[in-house]
Amino acid sequence: MANPSSTLASGLGRLKAKDTRPIWMEKPKPAVQVSKAIALVIICFLALYPLLAVLATSLSSQSEIANNNGLVLFPKEPTFAAYQTIFAGGVVTDALIRSLLITTVGTALSVVVTVAMAYGLTRRDLVGGRFFLMTALFTMLFSPGIIPSFLMVKELGLLDSYAALVLPTLMSAFNLVVVRSFFMNLPQELFEAAKIDGAGDFRILVQMVLPLSRGVLAVVGLFYAVGYWNAFFNAMLYLNDDKWPLSMILRQYVLLGQPMGDSAVAEIAVPSQAIQMAVVVISLIPIVIVFPFLQRYFTKGVLTGAIKG
Amino acid sequence: MNAVPSAGPSRRNFLSVAGIGALALVSGGALAGCGQRTTSVASNASEALLPTHMPLQAAAADIPGTAQGVPSAFYKYPAPFRSVQAAPLKGGKITAITNLFGTAPNARADNPAWQAIEARLGGQVEITSVSSDDYATKFNTIIAGGELPDLMLNDGAAVPNIVEFLQAKCADLTPLLGGDKIKDYPNLAAIPEVFWKQTVQAGKLYSLPIPRNLTGGSGFVNQTLLESVGIKSTEDIKDKDDFYRVAKELTNPSKNQWALGSTKFGLTMLHHMFRTPNVWKNDGGKLTRAFETDEYLAAIEFAAKLYKDGLYVPGSEGWTKSQMVNSFISGKVAMIYDGLPAYIGPTGYGRSIPAANKANKAVPFIPVGHDGGKAQTWLDNVTFGTVMLKKADEAKLKEVLAVANFLAAPFGSEEYLLLNYGAEGADYTLDANGNPVVTERALLDNAVPWKYLAAPQQVVYDPSNKDIVDVMHNAYSKLIPLGVEDPCGTLFSPTNASKGAKLGQPVSDAATAVIAGRGTMDALKSAVADWKKNGGDTIRSEYESALAK
Repeated sequence: MANPSSTLASGLGRLKAKDTRPIWMEKPKPAVQVSKAIALVIICFLALYPLLAVLATSLSSQSEIANNNGLVLFPKEPTFAAYQTIFAGGVVTDALIRSLLITTVGTALSVVVTVAMAYGLTRRDLVGGRFFLMTALFTMLFSPGIIPSFLMVKELGLLDSYAALVLPTLMSAFNLVVVRSFFMNLPQELFEAAKIDGAGDFRILVQMVLPLSRGVLAVVGLFYAVGYWNAFFNAMLYLNDDKWPLSMILRQYVLLGQPMGDSAVAEIAVPSQAIQMAVVVISLIPIVIVFPFLQRYFTKGVLTGAIKG
Repeated sequence: MNAVPSAGPSRRNFLSVAGIGALALVSGGALAGCGQRTTSVASNASEALLPTHMPLQAAAADIPGTAQGVPSAFYKYPAPFRSVQAAPLKGGKITAITNLFGTAPNARADNPAWQAIEARLGGQVEITSVSSDDYATKFNTIIAGGELPDLMLNDGAAVPNIVEFLQAKCADLTPLLGGDKIKDYPNLAAIPEVFWKQTVQAGKLYSLPIPRNLTGGSGFVNQTLLESVGIKSTEDIKDKDDFYRVAKELTNPSKNQWALGSTKFGLTMLHHMFRTPNVWKNDGGKLTRAFETDEYLAAIEFAAKLYKDGLYVPGSEGWTKSQMVNSFISGKVAMIYDGLPAYIGPTGYGRSIPAANKANKAVPFIPVGHDGGKAQTWLDNVTFGTVMLKKADEAKLKEVLAVANFLAAPFGSEEYLLLNYGAEGADYTLDANGNPVVTERALLDNAVPWKYLAAPQQVVYDPSNKDIVDVMHNAYSKLIPLGVEDPCGTLFSPTNASKGAKLGQPVSDAATAVIAGRGTMDALKSAVADWKKNGGDTIRSEYESALAK
């Protein structure tokens, strides 16, 4: 038979422990759980509603769009006419390929340059390191104007070349700071040990630093990729229309409400709003595919780089 | 004597601001930027040596145009004739910058139309093109870069200090095109004088016109809905009270139907009914800005009454163009303001409205005067813009003008077919009636913006439907004779260029507030008084002195 006093003591102890548990660790009451679920559903709906409307409108006919005042949620007779028109022309397909190439190459180059400079700036023995860091930081405060940038690109002979979309924005000072802060917080003892074992800086960077920095590299890579994917202004300024990336095509269609091709002559009446929405859908796809794989690094990477800096 | 091209409404305006009425009146079309010097002289066009008009012996129109400017109309494409014999470029290359409507065209290598045009040109034209919204940024950057293209669109807004720019960087075309000199370029010579007047500045011919059909019209009405309240045509409306009655009958919120609804209230039709001047009124050399007139105030007051009584779709003043078009197509709104060119063509209201909703048919709105007399429309769509030529030696200029002459090939010519419909076979075929029927690829092959570098006088042509041609031609025949020019359309005021739009904005805002029931007529009058005090009177005196020259 159990000792009544010890049973009482353990019961009291449990009660005490329960009483001292923070309120957020308590299991919520059913009413609270239901209200949380409702709130989450509403938030999800608010986030998904525009996407659903864009997708549904892209699958609608012009008359259906007109009869629903431009916003269709459930097309009665879904049609892929807008997508067929877009891909038949080849302009959107070409622009999509160009954007993918610019984003891939640009992101790779940017990450390489940023990592290289960030690693260099973490070396205390780097001559003029502070000067280079300050020079980079200066660009965060003062960016060149449109015309000086244009003149520089022109003088470098980069007008109407894809390099004009990559080189002027090759390195972002913000990303440099994030990566440098992350590198600074890696244990210095590791580097010292590696040096004692005879490793050079390149080997330390490639074999030790980079594998430890996957999170921050994913974040910075995502920043660069989204930047290259969305950039339209430099394309407008530096490139002729036969080299425009998808962002410019998207701008032409959606923001400026331009029709597909020359509507004054074309005999094919296209549902322009459906096409606008179809282009939005197409431009969203790559980011939607990539983002879930990178987002887990997102918060961790940025906070690591920023808070510990 | 000095002169300038009109900065008045053009296709650019129609595309960007459908309900332009209030804005056009307030800004005077001067969408100029800031920061330029204000030392330019006021200038006038009247003493320039304009090119002699030499009409081509082209195919006879089904409905001929008039000397007043009503365009010719065609039910079918006439037998094509060759308007340019020799290739204007001898293997050379010229450069150009202009607007692009729609997305980028198929690339040259995959574009039979582009290749065929350059084969006829005998060389290449490197075109830098951006949308009208990006044009000012791109063009000014290129100007700063120092290497100007040979042909440059002047859209009336990109270069605020246009006189100085023309004098410093652009070729004076008077010695090459003035008077009978233009006979070397017969397609350009076929453009009537009214359009060339828009190209004169500082007393010289500085650019080439891209003609439009003079008026932007008074808007459109849903004919089916109109007939449902017993009115066959807006011309049958007797006066403003009758207009109010019709609008009231057309409005039935329980059926999701209203009489009016347009971006910025679509005031143009009301201004035309009340005979508001076209930006300025010239009374023997004394100028009055439209919003200083009783006609303007009466139109605003009437719009406020219509709004107060619920005859506008609630919130429609903030509509985008798409929202307006969708509401018009669906029959939610019976009358809208959009530019008259939006009626014709494959995506024009003439075809798109019955296609989307068989029950509905749209026709242009033909206004009557508020008092039962004649309305007064505006000649506010004379040109799309003008095209400037970079300074160069005479041989180069002649070469560039020869290219422009090719691009200005008139309707009925082989070149017009090529420039507008593409390469025969790949982009279009001629049907039994000789009308071009385009292929699927024509859409993007023809997107190269040739027509925004030089163009002929426009015609009314739609082979798909004779009725659309008749309706459109009838509208021009009714609206153009009622039209008045902006007396300052070809004048230049440096103050207007530098701050005209900014000065006019408070007046526009006050008018909007009155209509929406948030402001009073006294506040509107006070905004007009402020406009005078803050620079309006200076603009007026600059225009008056230019007018007096």
